[in-house]
Amino acid sequence: MPAQPLNRICYVEDDEDIQRIVRISLEKVGKMTVEVISDPLLAIERIAAFKPELVMLDWMMPGMDGPTLFRKMRETPEVRDLPVVFITAKASPRELDELRTLGAVGTISKPFSPKDLPGQLRAIWSSLP
Amino acid sequence: MAGRVSLLMDTTSAAAAQISLTEKAGAIQSADPRRVLADRVEQLYSQLPLGIAATLIVSAIATVELRAGRFVEVVLFWAGLVVLLTLARIALYWGYRKSVNKFDEAAQWLRWLAISALANGATWGFAGAVFFPSHADEQQVFLAFLLSGMVAGGVPMYAVSWPIYALYAASIAFPFTYVLATFGNRLFAELAVLVPAYLAVNVGIAYRLNQVFDSGYRLRHAYGKLTDDYTALNQRLEQQLVELEEARRQVEASGRKLALFAERSPIAVFEFDPEGRVLNMNPAAETLFGFSSREMIGRPGTDTLFPSDAADESRERWRSLIQSREPVFGLRLTNTRRDSAEIVCEWSLTPLVNPENRVISVIVQGRDITQQLEAERMKQEFTSTLSHELRTPLTSIIGSLQLINSGVLGDVDKDVLELTSIAERNGQRLLDLINDILDVEKIESGKLTLFPEALELGELIAESLILNRGFADRFKVRLATVGDLPAVNVNADRKRLLQVMTNLLSNAAKFSPEGAAVEVTIETTDGNVRVGVSDSGPGIPESFRSRIFGRFAQADMSHARPKGGTGLGLAICKRLLEMMGGKIGYSDRQGGGTTFWFELPRHS
Repeated sequence: MPAQPLNRICYVEDDEDIQRIVRISLEKVGKMTVEVISDPLLAIERIAAFKPELVMLDWMMPGMDGPTLFRKMRETPEVRDLPVVFITAKASPRELDELRTLGAVGTISKPFSPKDLPGQLRAIWSSLP
Repeated sequence: MAGRVSLLMDTTSAAAAQISLTEKAGAIQSADPRRVLADRVEQLYSQLPLGIAATLIVSAIATVELRAGRFVEVVLFWAGLVVLLTLARIALYWGYRKSVNKFDEAAQWLRWLAISALANGATWGFAGAVFFPSHADEQQVFLAFLLSGMVAGGVPMYAVSWPIYALYAASIAFPFTYVLATFGNRLFAELAVLVPAYLAVNVGIAYRLNQVFDSGYRLRHAYGKLTDDYTALNQRLEQQLVELEEARRQVEASGRKLALFAERSPIAVFEFDPEGRVLNMNPAAETLFGFSSREMIGRPGTDTLFPSDAADESRERWRSLIQSREPVFGLRLTNTRRDSAEIVCEWSLTPLVNPENRVISVIVQGRDITQQLEAERMKQEFTSTLSHELRTPLTSIIGSLQLINSGVLGDVDKDVLELTSIAERNGQRLLDLINDILDVEKIESGKLTLFPEALELGELIAESLILNRGFADRFKVRLATVGDLPAVNVNADRKRLLQVMTNLLSNAAKFSPEGAAVEVTIETTDGNVRVGVSDSGPGIPESFRSRIFGRFAQADMSHARPKGGTGLGLAICKRLLEMMGGKIGYSDRQGGGTTFWFELPRHS
């Protein structure tokens, strides 16, 4: 379990409505600091600048999908070690397993409950080594 | 088929010939001796009228010839005796003819005939003994001729039974012999020696004739029996022929029907010989590949059937089919049409095996399922897209409402809160419906994969109660376990088993009256564990019971408050449990309410 509580989160998501809901959820319910990134192509740069403790990725995005972005992150030294959680509306159990073997620390399925989202993320955070 | 029928007939007649041969050997021995006796008696009696007539004529002549002289009274007495005896013989004949049971009483009738023959002979013996000494030379010669004539004439009359003839002839000859021997004349004494010899010769002839008649009758009966057997056999053969003809007609009729089925069938039907050459094909088969039957019949069909394989491999597949003689169903192959278009076909191959267990031919049936597969793929893609496209906006809707309702954004007006709560609840309901439809779709297309693991059932049940507590609170219903939950393991998919429990618990909560408790029990048997979820609701209406595990099944509860739900839950539960090797059911609860239960095999 990491020493400090979970506080800084980056969220890569193209849907503006969901961005807003997640932001309110994490800020108001979870009292966290959130950076939302709309464009996955710019994501790595922005994540590196923001220095979050955890990154949330949407699965389906125009330009670049979540898993591809995730693999790119693994190739970039500044963001390589950040824990990544996927938020997805569709994923077969096989794909989820594949993501876990690649190193994703968790998945949250859509639709999620904004009331419970900070709790879910903190549970994942506390399960990390 | 006609050839086969005639073959059968040949075998049958060969069998018949065999029967007649074996029967012929014992035929003469097998003639019934009682029938032979009855025939002999009949023969004797049939000659009786002739004998009576001869006796009357000869005795009348004798009476006239012998009447002159001193013994006219004796002659008349004798004539009267003959007349009386004749009447008795006529009566005997009459009696025999009228008898209804000649066959069984044959021996008795034979005895009567013997007596009558003896009496007849005795009258002539009397004539010889009395009239020979009393008459002059001329009449003596006449008498001697007369008597020898009577002895000789008796042979054809009585030879059918030589003992009767012997009685008859002896009763004529012995008194006459005695008279000759005692006459005192040397010539007559010599005649007295010759008469018995003559008698013996005649009896001997009668004996021989008797034997001939006997074997004649035996043969007649043996032949009659053979004829009867042949008649029966012929009738049997005729009957079999009729049945065979009928069978042939039926086979022909069903053959025509089958041919018609194949002709009009939309399914391609080929008949291949065991070497894989095309013997026959229907119009649908021509359409399927675009080759006419003229082009394909006699050519190897396996290359068309297994085109994507190497020639060796297709031959190997065919050989193993012929060897196994087992039909193959649902074989999906990518085939190439004449126009090079690739089509996916589903084939069934059925080897036809003769009684000697050799493959005669193989019926190959197939249909083009390319469009069907494409439709299935499109349906899946559609469902998948729909799922994503529906869930994304629902995420925003439910999420926003949840945030408002949770109060993290500050206090909201009471009326507004009520409306947003309704909106959130119905958004959730819509989401449940989408999830259930997707589950059904996955189950039906065989795309649902389970991840079974060893689970401690008690812990999972306890977790499901916690997860559904919030839902039950809405109906003011408590969820409770009854008794200790035994420690028992099952091999099941954790997420899907929780889904089953959620379904059963939420159903039970929805249909329970306010303030009631939903009770959960776990019972173990030898190999299974049974989980029961009991409510104290109104029970399941009779009309609904038969389709309760069907899709979109919801009881008509128009009088009750709307409960929500998709009507898919129990259908999904049933299928999920079956996939985990279990089953689901329900029973009425004493005192009202229903218990839904499911069983899973225990995991050791």
